[in-house]
Amino acid sequence: MSESTHTNGTDGGHVNTTWKLGLSTLERFGVVIAFIALFAYNAITQPETFLKPENLRNLLNQNADIGVIAVGMTLVIIAGGIDLSVGAVMAFAAAVGMITMNSLFEGSMNETLAVIIGLATGIGLGAACGLLNGLLVTIGRIPAFIVTLAGLIGFRSVTLAIAEGGEIRAADKLNALQTFGRDGFKIPGVLDYYDQPVVFYWNILIFFAVVIAGQLLLSRTRLGRHFIAVGSNEIAAKYSGIAVNRVRTWSYVLVGACAGIAALMSLARMNSVSSSGVGHLAELDAIAAVVIGGTAMTGGRGRVWGTMLGVLILIMISNMLTLADVEVYWQGFVKGVIIILAVLIQRGKAN
Amino acid sequence: MLEIRNITKQFPAVRALDGVSLNITAGEVHGVIGENGAGKSTLMKILAGIQPPDDGSLTLDGDPYVPRNVNDASRVGVVMIHQELNLVEDLSVAENILLGREPRRFGLVELGRMRSEATRLLEEIGANIDPRARVGDLPVAQQQLVEITKALSQKTSVLILDEPTAVLSERETTLLFKLVRRLKERGVAIVYISHLLPEVLDLCDRISVLRDGRLVAETTPAASDADRLAALMVGRDLVDVYPPLVPPSADTSRLAIRDLSVPGHASKITFDVAPGEILGLAGLVGSGRTEIAEAIVGLRPISGGEVRLDGDSVRFRSPKQALERGVAYVSEDRKGRGILVDLSCIENTTLPNLAAYGRLFPDRRRERATTTDWIERLDIRCPDPRSPIRTLSGGNQQKFAVASRLDSKPTVVLLDEPTRGVDVGAKRELYHLIAGLARDGLACILISSELPELLGLCHRIAVMRQGRLAGVVDGPTASEESIMRVAAGVGEEAA
Repeated sequence: MSESTHTNGTDGGHVNTTWKLGLSTLERFGVVIAFIALFAYNAITQPETFLKPENLRNLLNQNADIGVIAVGMTLVIIAGGIDLSVGAVMAFAAAVGMITMNSLFEGSMNETLAVIIGLATGIGLGAACGLLNGLLVTIGRIPAFIVTLAGLIGFRSVTLAIAEGGEIRAADKLNALQTFGRDGFKIPGVLDYYDQPVVFYWNILIFFAVVIAGQLLLSRTRLGRHFIAVGSNEIAAKYSGIAVNRVRTWSYVLVGACAGIAALMSLARMNSVSSSGVGHLAELDAIAAVVIGGTAMTGGRGRVWGTMLGVLILIMISNMLTLADVEVYWQGFVKGVIIILAVLIQRGKAN
Repeated sequence: MLEIRNITKQFPAVRALDGVSLNITAGEVHGVIGENGAGKSTLMKILAGIQPPDDGSLTLDGDPYVPRNVNDASRVGVVMIHQELNLVEDLSVAENILLGREPRRFGLVELGRMRSEATRLLEEIGANIDPRARVGDLPVAQQQLVEITKALSQKTSVLILDEPTAVLSERETTLLFKLVRRLKERGVAIVYISHLLPEVLDLCDRISVLRDGRLVAETTPAASDADRLAALMVGRDLVDVYPPLVPPSADTSRLAIRDLSVPGHASKITFDVAPGEILGLAGLVGSGRTEIAEAIVGLRPISGGEVRLDGDSVRFRSPKQALERGVAYVSEDRKGRGILVDLSCIENTTLPNLAAYGRLFPDRRRERATTTDWIERLDIRCPDPRSPIRTLSGGNQQKFAVASRLDSKPTVVLLDEPTRGVDVGAKRELYHLIAGLARDGLACILISSELPELLGLCHRIAVMRQGRLAGVVDGPTASEESIMRVAAGVGEEAA
C-alpha cells in the first residue's frame, strides 16, 4: 500500500482573535461609538450651548417626527423593500388630519373629541397609503422603488391641491393640539434659563416609544421574524410556508402608519400644515438614519435601535455645524460624507 | 507545481484547517475528498485567494504564492470553478469568456473578433455552444463549460473544480471527464473535489482525504477502493448505511395523485402513497420530478388532474396552505430555498411553524428547547444554535432544513434530493431519519438521482421519463439496471 498517513503538524497557528474582535465590534457597534464620540465632542467644544437641557430638548423635538418615520423605514428595508413616499404621505395625512379637526370643531364638536378623531384619521390615512403601496408592490408586482416614487410625487401633489399650494392652519380657538405640542414630561430638578422646569415634549416621548415598539416588533414578534426572513431570501421564505405578500404588505402599512404619526407630531408642534414644507425630503433623512444605524439596504439584517442612534447622530451633526457657523448649504455635503463613512465602516460582515 | 505547507485556518467556532500540507504536481488530477466540514472548501478558498490562511505557506513553481484575491490568483494561473457559477447571466457566452479582456480597437469592443475568438476557444475544448447565446438561457451544464472555457482561455496552470458534477447529468459528466483528461495531458494541474467516490476513483491520479481539518491520508486509486475511502473520511467503518425496511403501517392511501399535469413539465401522473410508505421518485434530471412535488404543494400551477389527501380533493395555492394541511416539502435547492443562510439555526428550525410558538410573540425559550431537541434527535453538529446557519456544514444545514419542515408534525413529507452535497456519514443519518419518519406513519416521497439510495430506502419506486410516469417498480426487488431501463424507455412500460 502506498498510503501514507499524516498527523497534525504545527502548533503555531494561533489566530489574532483580539484584533478580529476589535474589528467586528467596530462593525456592529460603530454607530454607538460614533454617537458617543459626537456627543462628547459637542459637549466639550460647546459646553455652554449644546449641553443645555433645553437645547437638547429642542433638537430632539424638531426631529422626533422624522425619527418615527425612520423607525418605519427600518422595518420596510429589513423586509426587503423601500418607501420613498413617506414624506409626501406625512404631508397628506397632516393636511387631511388638520382639515378633519377644523371642520369637526367648527361643526361645534367637543374640542378634544375633534382632535382625537382628526389624529385617528391622519394615522389611518397614512396606513391606508401604505396599504396601497404594499398592494401595488405585491399584487401589482411593480418594484417598490417605482411604486413609492410615484407615491412621493402623487401624494405631495394631492396635498398641494388640497391646500392650494399654501398652508392649512388650525381653526380659531382650536387650541388642544397646540397645548399638547407644548406639554410634556417635566423632569424634576431640571430648570431652564428662566428657572422654569424643562418640559420634555410628548413628541419626544412618542419618538422613543415608537423606537421601543419597533425594536420589540422586530426582535420579539412573529411578524418581525417574518420581515427578516422575507428580506433575507424571499423565495426560501415562501418555501418555508410564509405568506410573503402579506408580510411585505404589512411592512408598507406600518411605515405608512409611522408617517401618519409623524404627521400628527408635526401638527402638534407647528399647529399648521405647510403643504410644500411638511415632510419635505423626510424619506432621504429617514433612509440616511437607517443606513447610518447599520441596517443593510439589501434587507434581512438591521436594527431599530441603530436607526435611533442614526437619527440622533444626524441631529448632532447639524447642531454641531450650525454652532460652528458652517453655512447651511454645506451641511448636506457633510451628511453625505457621513453616510458613506457609515457604510464603509459597517460593511465588513457583508463581504 | 503548487506546494501547500502547514496551512491552518481558524474560524470563530471551529479550526477549519489544522496544519494541512499537500503537493499538487503538473499534469495530475488530484482528488480532495472529505465529509462536509472537513475543510475542503476552506482549503480551496485559500488556494483561490478568496480567504487568507492564518498560518502556513504556499509556493507556486518555487515562488511564494500569496494571493490576496481571486484576480491575484488567476493572474498567476490558479483558477477555481465554483459549485455556484460566477457568470454574468445577462451577457452572451462570448462576452463572458472574454470578460475584462475584450479585444478592442480605438477603445471600442470588436464584436466580430470577440465572437471568433470565443468560437475558437469553445471548439478547442469541444463544447458545442453558440457564443452569441445569453448565458442565463443555457442549461447549467453548458454554463459550467463556459466557465471552464473562460478559465482555460487565460493561462491556467492550476484548475480547481469544486463538486463539478453535482449539477450534471451522466452524459454531461462523461464529457467533463474527457475534458479534464485532455487538460491533464496539456500539463494543467487539476484539483478535483467531490463527494462521489466512484467518480474520484475513476478520474484522479492521487487522492487526499481530509477529516476535521486535517489531512488523514494520501493514496492512489490503485491502492484503495470506495469502502476504504469512505472509512477514512468518516474515521470509522460504515455499517448499516440503509436501515431495515418496515412494511407500511396501513394499506390505505394518504396522498393520491390522479392524472396530475404540470404545464411544460409533467402530464397525467398517477400514484399513491400510504401512511408509513416511502415512495421513491426516480428519473433523469429534467424528467419532471421536482416540478410534480412543487405542484403538489402549490408552487406551480396545475393544468389538470387532482391531488387527494386522505380522500379529500385538495389544491394548495402556497406551501403555507400545504403545511397547514400537513404536507411538507423540502426543496432540492438548500441554500436558495430550503434554509435562510443568514438566520440562526433556531430561527431556521421554527420559521415554518412559528405560529405554534405564540401567535404574536414567539416564546423564545420554547424555540430554543425545540431546536436543542432536534439537534439531539438528528445528531446535528452545531456548536451554538444562535449562530447563523451558514456557519454549519452542508449536511448539518440539511438536517435543519428537514427538521424545520417536520416541526409542524406533517403527515406527508416530500423530500427532494435530501442528500445532495451531503457527506457519507450524514447521508446515513438522513436515511435513518427518513426510515424513522415512515415507521412513525408518515407518507414519504423521496426524489433522488442516486439510485442506490432509492433502492436502499424505498418500498416502491416510481420512474419518470420526459414528464410521464414510465413505470412503478418494487423497491426491494428492483436493481439499478431495471430502473434505468424503465427511465430510458427500454423494456417494460406502464400504460
